[in-house]
Amino acid sequence: MPVDQPRPAHNPLEESDHIDDAALNVVLRTVPLGAAVLAGSAVALVVLGYLAIYLLIFLPRGVVG
Amino acid sequence: MTDQPHETHERWILGTELIWAFGVGVLVAATISVIVFTALTLNINPPSNVERVDPKTLHLSGEFSEQNLGTLVAADGTVTARIIATQFTFVPHCIALPRGRPVTLRLASPDVIHGILITGTNVNTMVVPGYVAQVHTEFTQSGELLMPCHEYCGLGHSEMWAGVQVLSAAEFKPDGDGRVSCAQR
Repeated sequence: MPVDQPRPAHNPLEESDHIDDAALNVVLRTVPLGAAVLAGSAVALVVLGYLAIYLLIFLPRGVVG
Repeated sequence: MTDQPHETHERWILGTELIWAFGVGVLVAATISVIVFTALTLNINPPSNVERVDPKTLHLSGEFSEQNLGTLVAADGTVTARIIATQFTFVPHCIALPRGRPVTLRLASPDVIHGILITGTNVNTMVVPGYVAQVHTEFTQSGELLMPCHEYCGLGHSEMWAGVQVLSAAEFKPDGDGRVSCAQR
């Protein structure tokens, strides 16, 4: 074995996860709320931009068809 | 026993996804409603006109022959501007139009696809060879506006533009033939 290769016991891919159910439950309890806040904020900004352009630029520019 | 909290959280996550999907559905419906409301109540629509014209004989006879280009006020008072978009200019190069009156822009191309917009307005359309592009609008402010080609049409595309003079009722004076041009000012 080459000397610069990690030994199997030190390879991160070889190590097992040490996540117990309690820790997983804590994560699962907070993940949907964080995702909703992040996605909701992003969509709200886009909708506000759309409404601002529609009301302040598009409508004042007048009739077209 | 240990799977019970997982199932509870998975149901909660599924619930948030369903609520999110409902919210997205509401937003899509609201956006479509705004478009329909604008079209029905304010008469603001995407320009739409399917009308064929022969691009090979555009300049020889008919509506887009040279003497018929520019702004014309018909006997019934309707204002129509006929414009040819060609590589790499508009004919005429300046269009005089009235403020506060419905006007119709009719454009045709003898060569390649062009497009126009008029700065500060909602006028925006493609000009496709073989078809007449038509836009109805009403200008709300007087002044000099720029009408550039907004569809890449060749090496001279960036030099292809025209001016639009929006004139007040006092300045918009048709001649005996009902024609109005920028040169009259």
